[in-house]
Amino acid sequence: MELTRRQAIRTGLLGAAGLAAGGTLTACGGGSSSGGSAAAMTLWYWSGGLSPSVVTDATKKFASQTKLTSSVIGGDFKQKLLTTMTSRRYVPDITGIKGEDMPAMLPDADRFVDLNTLGAAKLKSQYLSWKWAQGMTTDGKLIGFPIDIGPTAMFYRSDLFAQAGLPTDPTTVAAQMKTWDEYFAAGVELHKAIPKTYLVDNAGDIFTAVVGQSGSRFIDSSGKFVGDQDHIRTAWDTAVKTVTLGIDAKINDNSWNGNIANGTVGSVIGAAWHALDIEQAAPALSGKWRVAATPDGPSDNGGSFLAIPTTCPDPALAFQIITWILNPTNQARGFTDEALFPSTPASYTMSALTSGDKYFGGQKTIEVFGPAAQNIPNQYVAPADSAVSAPYYNQLINVENGTSSDSAWSAAVSQAKQIFAQQGGS
Amino acid sequence: MSKRTKGILLHGTLMIGVVLSLFPFYWTVVLATNNTSDVYHNPPKLIFGGQLFTNISHMLSNIDFFGSMFNTLLVAVSTTALVLFLDSLAAFTFAKYDFPGKRFLFGLLLLTFMLPMQLALIPEFEIMVKLNWVGDLRALVVPAAANAFGIFWMRQYTSSAVPSELLEAAKLDGCGFFRQYWHVCLPIIRPGLAFLGIYTFVGAWNDYIWPLIVLVNPNRITLQVALAQLNTAHGADYSMIMAGALLALLPVVLVFVLFARQFMAGAVKGALRG
Amino acid sequence: MSSSRPTAQAPRESKRTSPRMRIARDTPRPSRARTPSGPAPSARRRPGRARRVASFWPQYLAISPFYLVFLVFLLIPIVFSLYLAFTSWDGLGAIKFVGLQQFRFLVKDSTFWLALRNTLIIWVLSTVPMLFVSLVLASLINATRRFTAFYRIAFFIPSVTSIVAIALFFSAIFSENYGLVNVMLHAMHLPTVDWLSDAWTIKLVIAILMSWQWTGYNAIIYLAGMQSIPPELYEAAKVDGAGPIRTFFSITIPMLRPIILFTVIVSTVTGLQSFTEPQVLFGSSASVNPNSGGPGQAGLTLILYFYHQAFDNNNFGYGAAIAWAAFLVIVLFTAINWRLVARKDR
Repeated sequence: MELTRRQAIRTGLLGAAGLAAGGTLTACGGGSSSGGSAAAMTLWYWSGGLSPSVVTDATKKFASQTKLTSSVIGGDFKQKLLTTMTSRRYVPDITGIKGEDMPAMLPDADRFVDLNTLGAAKLKSQYLSWKWAQGMTTDGKLIGFPIDIGPTAMFYRSDLFAQAGLPTDPTTVAAQMKTWDEYFAAGVELHKAIPKTYLVDNAGDIFTAVVGQSGSRFIDSSGKFVGDQDHIRTAWDTAVKTVTLGIDAKINDNSWNGNIANGTVGSVIGAAWHALDIEQAAPALSGKWRVAATPDGPSDNGGSFLAIPTTCPDPALAFQIITWILNPTNQARGFTDEALFPSTPASYTMSALTSGDKYFGGQKTIEVFGPAAQNIPNQYVAPADSAVSAPYYNQLINVENGTSSDSAWSAAVSQAKQIFAQQGGS
Repeated sequence: MSKRTKGILLHGTLMIGVVLSLFPFYWTVVLATNNTSDVYHNPPKLIFGGQLFTNISHMLSNIDFFGSMFNTLLVAVSTTALVLFLDSLAAFTFAKYDFPGKRFLFGLLLLTFMLPMQLALIPEFEIMVKLNWVGDLRALVVPAAANAFGIFWMRQYTSSAVPSELLEAAKLDGCGFFRQYWHVCLPIIRPGLAFLGIYTFVGAWNDYIWPLIVLVNPNRITLQVALAQLNTAHGADYSMIMAGALLALLPVVLVFVLFARQFMAGAVKGALRG
Repeated sequence: MSSSRPTAQAPRESKRTSPRMRIARDTPRPSRARTPSGPAPSARRRPGRARRVASFWPQYLAISPFYLVFLVFLLIPIVFSLYLAFTSWDGLGAIKFVGLQQFRFLVKDSTFWLALRNTLIIWVLSTVPMLFVSLVLASLINATRRFTAFYRIAFFIPSVTSIVAIALFFSAIFSENYGLVNVMLHAMHLPTVDWLSDAWTIKLVIAILMSWQWTGYNAIIYLAGMQSIPPELYEAAKVDGAGPIRTFFSITIPMLRPIILFTVIVSTVTGLQSFTEPQVLFGSSASVNPNSGGPGQAGLTLILYFYHQAFDNNNFGYGAAIAWAAFLVIVLFTAINWRLVARKDR
């Protein structure tokens, strides 16, 4: 009968809803206020942030003490981490923190365990001191344990360089392209010889590199906005030169992978971990890329940390896991697997780093990254650095699309000042 | 102009519209079944290729597609059930009965219609924190019921579809309020429920910004969030992304095509009186 | 409890004795006042009103689940977000009351005004042509005798597709070097366009995306309206010698006015809230600033800017201020549109 069928459907639907609600209730039984008891721990990192095989080995090694579940988080890692920490649910017991996000986390240091209280100081000598300092608050708390560093270099297509009559051997390239202007001049030659190839992928990367080469960034250590000063203007002008010289491929979107693969981009200025991006975008181009020193000197770009949120039920164990994953031997594996340049100098003499890299035609890239790592200038990075620098990149894209450099510069500076004020600066 | 020419012109123009309307789906299939290098070709391939399974497996290795689809299904079904029940009951009350404060309460609904839901995002997140629902699918299901559209729509529908005489007769037979709802109203408003149900289901399936914020547990996300993550995955390429997009939109399109008649009849009825 | 006055007795008596006089739309008229649902009480104060109100308990019970959810998950958050707009909060620390400071920032914030401008331009670009096309489309479908169901389905499908998927495949179609549109332009020897780099074309692409998704939906609604227009009107017009265009403007459109109003309002409200389109279109792994609306922030809409401030910069107070400003814009333009479309009725 119609009515009873109706009733049955309704009851069924309601029942399903009830089951669903109840099901999700029970399914989340383990997720109360923290990631779990000491019997189970969670580790969050992003794709390319750690070597998956090292993580798997860590899981096995500590299996008797805890069940370590690792999640590779997609999307906006920082937003997910902050949202989780705000909600105090599903907070990971060990989490990665990207290098560019670390300065903004330092003011909230009380959300993380001070690793010095777990005996981190004993290991300090094994790690590069400037990297170690980046994970520390002003009052001496260590919240981030170093994973990798990002010494920059010039990745270039030696085959395209050869086609354009440019030198191909890394040492010669470095010698002949010691300054930005020399590098750009070579780029003009390259583009003339191969019109579909540009020297750089976008102006923003050059801007990043030059800003990283100077002594200070957008906010100085006393908290004053200096994003309108000469050192930033120089970086800006250098970046804009790629546009005016016509050697900028202007790639700022998802087509980067395809354009790397098909030879639109002749070289990339990037950190050591960027090699992984190139390799994944263009596996067919193995052997055609080389690495040379960055014009005008190296800088540090990226390079991340592992941290322990205070919700972790067993920080001592978490610290053991962290320090094992990040010991010199495993950091060397990180380099082989995910191009993560170690922050432990002891790794630099290990075979994983001293042997040639097949993708780069057997070149021993340590010969470029090693000296780069030693010569990275010391820079203060303010918590608001990431937010304040955003307008410059937006405006550089405008310049790439035809806006005049001066008007874009003023817009960038005024927007940066506004953001600086909003983030609590004065 | 002869009738025949008119007919050809008419259908011809409409078919152009159909092509514009459906072409992106076709193109998605093309992209999803070819290699990225075929796509980054000049000219790109315009027909289906054979790479669908490669792209799908690449996509599966980047996101938990079927897990997130299951979560989405769970959320969509639960939301639909909840909304149908709450809204039909409340709409019936508004449509057929007067009671003190009715105008005020209904006016309140009207007011919130214009509010962008994004206003409530941050505080709603805080409420979820207090309730301990962050990362839970419950956080998606329950707030979805706080939507005035369903009530408006069902009220219009109920007030015209359910004759007062029937209710009166039921009352004479001794039916109280709730029995009138269950035995008289519900059977009659079934088409309206079908429309609202499908509308809610599709809305829940396609919801993006709120799940993006509140599903902090990476092992429990919905399909749209997983799909967007494809875009930012390491080694993202179009073929893989399109394979994901294709599989994600297929279920809803299928559901819709199956129930198209009821759905459109309902959409129309509600708008006509809106 | 209000004091009972003698005169108040009389109206109540008369009410009870003539229930049949009260026709509150479809309220069931009880022949015997046996059941709780009685005639609607007036707003006048009467003794025993509390008891009267309580007699409506089934109604209140019926609407209470909905209103409970509504209260907790919509009303309270809205009020709280209004409060948040007057505070400064990073989500992790304490909430600090700062008065009108966030709104002062807002007024001086050039990015906000850019977002406002973007949102308005995108909305106009998408809504105005779309509604016209929908009208024309509806007329065309209305004129068909065969395949009507097919057309209706084919045009409606885009509106049930997920915006994420749509944004993804539109970004592929309009991609600079290998997108289909540029390939076709190239094949026709026309200059290609950097769709996703130029400020205007970015807005155009977003508008096209939104139009593509909603044209069919609005067309089907107009179609239904058209099908309920009495054919006698058209016959009379034909007798008077009116051609199709004249008929369209003098009969169809006026008869459709309430529906047109409905679609304009809905398009305004949803169009001004666009978020997913620019967020997904420009949210690739190569972008330095995701959630910034692409090159030149040309795609930065109000809601995307709100999301960016709140969840990227952890500036929840400022984000709330932006969201409320967006709401005011929506109310303003909804009101303007209402006057524009409905006024002609007078």
